Amino acid sequence: MSDLGTGEPLLRTAQLIVENDDVANTLELPRLTSRVDVIREICRHLAPYQAGERPIVGETIIAKDLTIDSLAIMDMVMELEDSFDVSIPMNVVAEIHTVDQLADTILDLRAKR
Amino acid sequence: MDPLPSRNSRLPLRRADFATVPEILDYAAQGQTGISFYSAKGDLLTALAWREVRERAHVTARKLIGAGFAAGERLLITADTWPGFFDAFFGAQYAGLVPVPVSIPVGIGGKDAYLDQLRRQLVASGAVAAVGIDDLAGFLADAASDLPAVRLHGGKGVLDALPEKAVDLRPLGPADLCYIQFSSGSTRHPHGVQIMQRALMANLAGMTGPAGLDVIPGDRTASWLPLYHDMGLIGFLMAPLSCQLSIDYLTPRDFARRPMQWLNIISRNRGTISYSPSFGYDLSTRRGATQVPADLDLSSWRRAGIGGDMIRPEVLDRFADAFAPSGFDRKAFIPSYGMAEVCLAITFSPKGAGVRTDVVDRVALGKDQAAVPAADPLDAQRARSFVLCGRVLPGHLLEVRGPDGTPLADRQVGRIFIKGPSVMPGYFGEQEASREVLSDDGWLDTGDLGYWLADEIVVTGRAKDLIIINGRNVWPQDIEWAIEARRVVKSGDAAAFSVDTGAGERVVVAVLARVSGPEAGAALAREVAGAVREAIAVDCDVALVPPTTGLPMTSSGKLSRARTKANYLAGLYTSPVSPLKPVAA
Repeated sequence: MSDLGTGEPLLRTAQLIVENDDVANTLELPRLTSRVDVIREICRHLAPYQAGERPIVGETIIAKDLTIDSLAIMDMVMELEDSFDVSIPMNVVAEIHTVDQLADTILDLRAKR
Repeated sequence: MDPLPSRNSRLPLRRADFATVPEILDYAAQGQTGISFYSAKGDLLTALAWREVRERAHVTARKLIGAGFAAGERLLITADTWPGFFDAFFGAQYAGLVPVPVSIPVGIGGKDAYLDQLRRQLVASGAVAAVGIDDLAGFLADAASDLPAVRLHGGKGVLDALPEKAVDLRPLGPADLCYIQFSSGSTRHPHGVQIMQRALMANLAGMTGPAGLDVIPGDRTASWLPLYHDMGLIGFLMAPLSCQLSIDYLTPRDFARRPMQWLNIISRNRGTISYSPSFGYDLSTRRGATQVPADLDLSSWRRAGIGGDMIRPEVLDRFADAFAPSGFDRKAFIPSYGMAEVCLAITFSPKGAGVRTDVVDRVALGKDQAAVPAADPLDAQRARSFVLCGRVLPGHLLEVRGPDGTPLADRQVGRIFIKGPSVMPGYFGEQEASREVLSDDGWLDTGDLGYWLADEIVVTGRAKDLIIINGRNVWPQDIEWAIEARRVVKSGDAAAFSVDTGAGERVVVAVLARVSGPEAGAALAREVAGAVREAIAVDCDVALVPPTTGLPMTSSGKLSRARTKANYLAGLYTSPVSPLKPVAA
């Protein structure tokens, strides 16, 4: 079971990303966080739940194609919200099925900040 | 912003001796107490004195009346924990409208299932308007799109935008409905419990009186329970309000994220009364016990209630052990038993007694429906602990009946029936479903099983098919339909039920395995579990039933979930590898 303790290093990672991106920002790169960062973070959460040999890809349907339970999904969403400092509205959460959709949602929310 | 006070400086405490909810709020509004909303970080977001709650409700009521809504019409409200809910709910009370609080979406990917549920709730309640937080305005619009009866829908803005007209208020009266509580029936056939003003008042008096929580001046409540659940809405809005207490709220979502905030709020504001199903105590212990703030002080908490699902003594023990150094008193635990059909409470265990258990023999329980004291209470194989839930509220009658309807004596397990002033008149617009649970002479079949021990009731399980996961009611039909809707199996090929693991309920779905080989079986099981998780955010184990065996039917040709479960427990079905790996540590 993940807890606030394991959330700590995650937060630091996120801060590092922000700091790096602040530098990047001065180079006029438009996005604060790269898609790769977000996908990597999502996959880090999902890796323990990979079903058989099937790799986790953008089209992976989180609740269906993996062996993750619903509580762990909620935990993951919360930890992602914390590490990327966004809040995903409940109506948006309800429309997310795949890894790609989750990543794009986080990126959209970060872009709007 | 400061937290609201726990005491009213001049207004004497009246303990639920009112005739209606508007009367309750009228009185509380004369003091300084009220409701406070806290963030996941523990910051105070908004504080509304009951006086402000009432003023805002009056404004909403004049808007609703001015917009032409007729007395008795229904207003659906998505019941997130935020000030707008209180405006709409109490606005309806003063406008003579009947609120219908409903849940908010759970989990990822749940949109379709949620919309379907909303539509059915709109239809079942005959709602003429539907409001919620702005984020859900789009869902409300989608759900209402084919329902011309729904004349107004949207976020908070749609109520605000109505002109406030100089009209007389039309407060609901003692003989009126108070609200409709959806807690019964499957998603496809939701049954709304009619919470009547009069019945609610009877239950509130019992709940807050000497046989219940015995509220005193200075009591303060804290709650993260959802307001669409009867334990949240009646237990932690109506009951504190009926005694003019202050309430500190955390949203259920924030509680799940930061369970320690629940305890921090109690500690900081010197809370005295708070409730949770067993799983909330479990979550707090598992996530919080390793990092208890040094200044956490739970010594003010004198009523730590447990209800909403089967009470787990070992979970409560762990909580008490973990937080005793922070001043938590295990004698504060109050196991209780109730349901929406009686406006919440049926029994409370005696205050100050803590959790008391009866240890019985599993074999006699299963074979003879007899609760025989276990020869060796420490033999986990033979012994099973149940929690004593206390005496029935004054003015009510309780019976434990055998299969032929005769009342049973002590230690005989049977169905629990209740009669008295808190019992509902029936489900809204559902005569047949009402007749199934209510007799002509006013006895309600709770659908629960239990036995008498002296004058106290011990709840042992359920005769009805309802599954309760972490305090959430889930009907097996919804699980079966989720699988069938995704065409994983054919209609009628799945049966869902729950088994008691000793640590909670575990959902099991038995499916006809029209596939051959262990590979295909495991794939089917994974698909079934995935479909259930995606549609209703419930985790399940899958049992494969050979098509030649088939699923058991009742004599009338209906699927028998009880016999499916018995077969499963007897080992007749095979479980492929569990679709869930153990959760990563």
